Amino acid sequence: MKIEDAFDTYHQAVFDFVCRVTHRADLAEDLTQECFLALVRAPDRFNPERGSLKTYLFAIARNLVLKNYRDQRESTEPNESDLATDPRSSLEISSAVENAIRALPHLQQEALVLFQYEGLALEEIAQVVGTDVGTVKSRLHRARERLRRELAPFRNVGGVHGTV
Amino acid sequence: MEPFEKDELTEGELDRLLREWNAPAAPARLRAALFLKPRAPWWRRLWTLSIPVPLPIACVLTLLIVVSVWRGAMPRVPQVVVKTERVEVPIVQERVITKYVYKEQKAASGFDIHGLKPVAELRPRIIRSGDAKN
Repeated sequence: MKIEDAFDTYHQAVFDFVCRVTHRADLAEDLTQECFLALVRAPDRFNPERGSLKTYLFAIARNLVLKNYRDQRESTEPNESDLATDPRSSLEISSAVENAIRALPHLQQEALVLFQYEGLALEEIAQVVGTDVGTVKSRLHRARERLRRELAPFRNVGGVHGTV
Repeated sequence: MEPFEKDELTEGELDRLLREWNAPAAPARLRAALFLKPRAPWWRRLWTLSIPVPLPIACVLTLLIVVSVWRGAMPRVPQVVVKTERVEVPIVQERVITKYVYKEQKAASGFDIHGLKPVAELRPRIIRSGDAKN
């Protein structure tokens, strides 16, 4: 597959993943660009025998996110006090969900985003994050368990899910 | 605090809520930043399309093309065109009568084969080459 074709096929998914994990569209744009630049500069690094191009790109994007997270740890570390303490006060379910996911530990966050929003299989997530399927399952389970508790107040909030 | 706030969502409810969070679409300028120029339409890309061909096959194909071009450039030998036409020729039909006439012949020296008798005794006589005159 040519690099331009790869870009057309996967850039939205990579951008979406980075945006959901970093919660910043401008940063997601930069990191998505860097991700594909890495592919342009060294296309031979991709080995189809080790996994699909999709998982390869997600793995690059993940490494870039982690690097960025390490570089700007103080400024980007989620501060739970900043999050809505009473989510029911917000009628914006979308931001409530985003806040709840942001409050998750980073490893759980990325596993959840890759599974829930990018549609990756457990094996693919394991390839991306460089761990085994069991660990991915465990992270996913803990993330969903926590979200089920955190988002319980939103069960009946909003027109979609009924009214309070 | 209402009692349901203590509850946990079911898997289905959580999935429904998670779907409410939409990420923004990737900006179009991403492509421009990476590839400098916008992607050409498919019919224009068709002109620059490349197909990977193994070297031996490429060599054979090139050779075939060169040979066919060379043969096409060679002056052609004029071909003899054989044209067959049926022409009716008037034939004068003549009747030829062949007859065999047997002519009776007599022996020229008066020799008659019927008068010959087999010899009673053979007396071979050896004649040397020197005595040939004798």
